[in-house]
Amino acid sequence: MNFSFDVIWHNLPYMLAAARWTLLISLGGMAISLVWGVFVCAARISSGAVLSRLAALYISFFRGVPLLVQLLLFYYMLPYVGLDLPAIAAAILAVGLCSAAYSAEILRGALQTIPRGQTEAADALGIPTFSLWRRILIPQAIRIGLPSLVNELILLVKVSSLASVVGIGELTRISQNITGETYRPLEIYVAAAVIYFLINLVISLLGRLAEKRLQVA
Amino acid sequence: MDETPKDQPIIRISGLCKYFDDFEALRDITLDVNRSEVLCLIGPSGSGKSTLLRCLNFLEAYDGGEVYLEGDLIGWRSAREAPRRPLSSEKLRRQRQHIGMVFQQFNLWPHMTALENVAEALMHVKGLSKSEATTKARAALAKVNLSDKEKNYPANLSGGQQQRVAIARAIAMEPSVMLFDEPTSALDPELVGEVLSVMKEMANEGMTMVVVTHEMGFAAHVADRVAFLEEGRLVACSPPSEIFGREPDDPRVRAFLKTYRERNVV
Amino acid sequence: MEFDLFLRYGPALLTGFGVTILCWLVGSFGGLVLGFVLACLYRYGPAPLRWVIYAYVEVIRGTPFMIQLFILYYGGPHFGLLLSPIQAGILSFIVYGSPYFSEIFRSGFNAVPHGQVEAARCVGLSEGRILRRIILPQMLVPITAPLTNFFIILTKETAILSVVTVPELLYETQTMAAETFTFVEPFLVLSLFYWLMVIGTSWVGAKAEARVTRHLRKA
Repeated sequence: MNFSFDVIWHNLPYMLAAARWTLLISLGGMAISLVWGVFVCAARISSGAVLSRLAALYISFFRGVPLLVQLLLFYYMLPYVGLDLPAIAAAILAVGLCSAAYSAEILRGALQTIPRGQTEAADALGIPTFSLWRRILIPQAIRIGLPSLVNELILLVKVSSLASVVGIGELTRISQNITGETYRPLEIYVAAAVIYFLINLVISLLGRLAEKRLQVA
Repeated sequence: MDETPKDQPIIRISGLCKYFDDFEALRDITLDVNRSEVLCLIGPSGSGKSTLLRCLNFLEAYDGGEVYLEGDLIGWRSAREAPRRPLSSEKLRRQRQHIGMVFQQFNLWPHMTALENVAEALMHVKGLSKSEATTKARAALAKVNLSDKEKNYPANLSGGQQQRVAIARAIAMEPSVMLFDEPTSALDPELVGEVLSVMKEMANEGMTMVVVTHEMGFAAHVADRVAFLEEGRLVACSPPSEIFGREPDDPRVRAFLKTYRERNVV
Repeated sequence: MEFDLFLRYGPALLTGFGVTILCWLVGSFGGLVLGFVLACLYRYGPAPLRWVIYAYVEVIRGTPFMIQLFILYYGGPHFGLLLSPIQAGILSFIVYGSPYFSEIFRSGFNAVPHGQVEAARCVGLSEGRILRRIILPQMLVPITAPLTNFFIILTKETAILSVVTVPELLYETQTMAAETFTFVEPFLVLSLFYWLMVIGTSWVGAKAEARVTRHLRKA
């Protein structure tokens, strides 16, 4: 066995370019996940029984079906119902909608740790529900849930590799292509692993920094 | 372990030192415990009495000085080595079988019934068969008046009952000495009595006991000698009549007992 | 819905489900065992070994399962490891799951009060016996739920094995979809199968949790 660093060196520029798509999928997915997750969470804990049931169903579906299956369903189903999105948009949407189920649960858990008295205090002051959520509850929930949300983002970086299956040229797919040309799977995939690992390392470091920043003294 | 003559101290502590990083927890403690004696360790919190007790069975590795149980150096291979090397875990286990210990927080194993808690070491340390171990464990539970609770898990026992099971667990091993680390401090006041009366009974039967306690009544009435520690030093060690007499000699003991009387005496 | 489709593809789907279950069970339990060994080595081993385990945990958790699978399956032959798709799938599953399991076990170790271990040492129990009789049964209380949870997560990760042509459930479903130009039926069946696995695992997990916490119930 000979491990050739030359192969890696030659192909590194292509892989790094592909890593930008990896980042786009995971960051785009995370944005959808957070925004949509807040709504799912709000629906889940709302007093409306139907709304709450629907949210629970949403959460259990997206957490219960393999993401790869969801991705394939999105990719094949959207054109079927007349929505012709580019593959990358379908991938981001699929990843984001799935992750929103997890984000919703993270936020719900975080909200439960906020003392009820805060809501009562806001009610007593006559603060409208929307402001209560936007100014008081959500900022705190995000701060409390931050470690879990950073974990979720790291997870998204990893699952973005699934997008290779529907032909999106992110890091895993490009690695496969390069392997097809060079017949050096070991070198290329190890290099890809290192790139993924470094991305996640940076994210977790930034996450820890943000945690410190947001800490209330 | 060789039997030391009856008039020799069963535990010899000499020049004992213990550091936690830079903090000097125990300084040059020299103290003997005689066979069948009850020695109570008292003093303000943080004075090192629990640390001293934990050095006696090497739960804390002491840094200087020596602790002998019936002539055997506890924990270290030799007191003269530098640096010292601890005994093999096998030998340490053999030493600890002769030293029973009761903790403030009971430390019963919650997934075992009272009987299983007591029988565990009988089977797997002493190597008794299950039926022998069960018989012995039942006898130990009877001694602490808990025969009717043998099938209970700790979650279904009161604090006082749990502590008595813990005592049964220790005496079932037939140790030469018993160490008590604030055995009643975690108990509700109305449960303290049942534990103390079991301990008193053990003392009457001639068990050698070293007891860290805040129960001054127990120290005054049951102890043969009372040792007073402060800031890691042994300040006084005398019969309770001298320590608790109207005016103890040492001003520090006097001050400690004064605040104690003010808090506790109605 | 055309039910004669299921007569034709039913056996293949069932076989695929069987392969999924096989890879999942062997892979997860392998990962569980390896994770436990790692957690024990981390707890009792010397410092350099701890560093190696720490790095292993971080690297495996920081990289996608699919890449790990590719390194083993496609890269394996380059260092003399020639594996069938199923073998590669199971092996990579073990590797992938082990650090997560090891972290769960590590948290379990930390949850057992130290006083319990001290009490066991005081009556002279050996370290091995303490691990088996005192620490293990008690750490099962806080870790049964996360273990169940991770087994459930792993049911879904099996779908990725289809990418290296392991003939598991998703692979067979895709074959059926491609050959019959149907879409809804095969994926409905697939969802049902995964749902069954999740329900079954939750049920076993709940039973296990009742079993390991029975001593905590008030009489």
